[in-house]
Amino acid sequence: MYEADRVLVSRMRAGEQRAFDEFFNASASRLAAFVSRRSGLDPASVEDIVQNTLIKAVRNLASYRGEAALFTWVTEICRHELADARRKAVRRPAHDSLDEPDAVAFPVPQLWVPEHREPAAEAEVHRRQEAVIRALNDLPERYARALEAKYGDGLSVKEVAALFGLTTVAAQSLLARARDAFRDRWNSESEVVVGVRRDD
Amino acid sequence: MTERRITAGAEEDDPAIERALTTALSTEPLDDQTLERLRATVMDEWRAANAPASFERKGRWIALSVAAVVAALAVGFIVRPTGDAAAVGTIARLDGAIDVRGTFWRHWTAHVGDALKSGETLTAHGPVLLSLMQGGTLRVAAGSVLHLTGGAEVSLAHGLVYLDVAPSIKSSTPLRILTRVGAVEHLGTQFEVLSNEGAVRIRVREGRVRLVGRAGSVVASAGTELLASVRGGISQRSVETYGRDWLWVAALAPDYDIEGRPLIDFLQWVSRELGRRVEYADAHARDLAAHTIMHGSVRGREPLEALADVLATTSLTYEMRADTIRVHSVQ
Repeated sequence: MYEADRVLVSRMRAGEQRAFDEFFNASASRLAAFVSRRSGLDPASVEDIVQNTLIKAVRNLASYRGEAALFTWVTEICRHELADARRKAVRRPAHDSLDEPDAVAFPVPQLWVPEHREPAAEAEVHRRQEAVIRALNDLPERYARALEAKYGDGLSVKEVAALFGLTTVAAQSLLARARDAFRDRWNSESEVVVGVRRDD
Repeated sequence: MTERRITAGAEEDDPAIERALTTALSTEPLDDQTLERLRATVMDEWRAANAPASFERKGRWIALSVAAVVAALAVGFIVRPTGDAAAVGTIARLDGAIDVRGTFWRHWTAHVGDALKSGETLTAHGPVLLSLMQGGTLRVAAGSVLHLTGGAEVSLAHGLVYLDVAPSIKSSTPLRILTRVGAVEHLGTQFEVLSNEGAVRIRVREGRVRLVGRAGSVVASAGTELLASVRGGISQRSVETYGRDWLWVAALAPDYDIEGRPLIDFLQWVSRELGRRVEYADAHARDLAAHTIMHGSVRGREPLEALADVLATTSLTYEMRADTIRVHSVQ
């Protein structure tokens, strides 16, 4: 079904440099955005996860069968990497040992940067973003992925169609349904109680 | 009792939905240096995992060409000078652990005396003093992550570093520190760079530093702090070159070998390490400093401790006054 991706992988397995460049250019930045949105990790940790994922992908190209888009296959590897990272974070001690003073000597200080926005405005922006993310998390996986590809990765409808193995018309329809479903969830996330009336 | 609810955004059309999605899903793009680092590492793995099959499928002449290239590389390796061009420096002091991630996905824990090479990534769990191949030192605070991107280039992913290259050290390619907001370049200087996900702070203690970013370059001189946000904003203010903020730098000062050297040179070293100029109270004090030859050792002593130890053995004394170390002769 994903013939173009299957051919790209074949060319990579044959050692063709241009094929690797196509793969890397199409995957690395999108994968970093994928990790950032799902993990909230710092940039250095995001880079580590992206690197681990891509290394595992290029080592295991033979296992790609063209049953899903190549990027979707890469994101599946990435989900395992993220899960591993979370497991390791849970195992890490929550505080520094007093027996190891060297480990906490001269720590990097926190850098405070003046923001242009007032704290209240900043908090409001965060609140809205969190509402959007919660609404997306409530959607069926296929809808959330379609919206993420279109609005997060900036893919055209044609590219979204290629990603999902659909015609352009079917992709437009998928995006429309996804937006409708998102609107319902987002509206309920954005509900605010503005008054209480007693009906005696 | 009933609640009356008003649904925010219900009347909005798709543009509002699209705007909300685009805003919430936008992320900071990877910078060019990070992308190049990733490309190099992943490409190494891809070649290692996939290249041999391609050689088999292609003709024998390709195999012969490859063999010739390998032979040429081998000859190049054998005749290569002992000094490795890609070496960045060695670990001179280490108070804690330092993890190194090399190419081909290797990890190890480094020790004092170990050489560090381009392509390696360092995670400092304690303060580290690196002695640079091209001269000078790089001090790294605990919790910092550094990528050695080249013999004269270091990428600070996160953390705090201090570069000290004396004006007397001349190099055709001065060390550059790459950050999220651009490259920090110098010419004979001491400066500190602090980087986190939101901003980069540069404090210049001596000489001049140039920050070359996407929007242009900014030059800062001694006693100046630049604060550059990853969003593009940049501000500048004056800072002291001595005091509490620089204590971590003094604590990582390289050892100074006093044996057989004039006292005046030692005082100059203390001056650079503490960011305070030396002032002689009278001509006699200066003459004494110039003509006194030191013996012994102050290894392992921080600059201020070493100053007290050394002057206690002479007929000189000192006092600190803001940015000055005032040296007197004992009457």
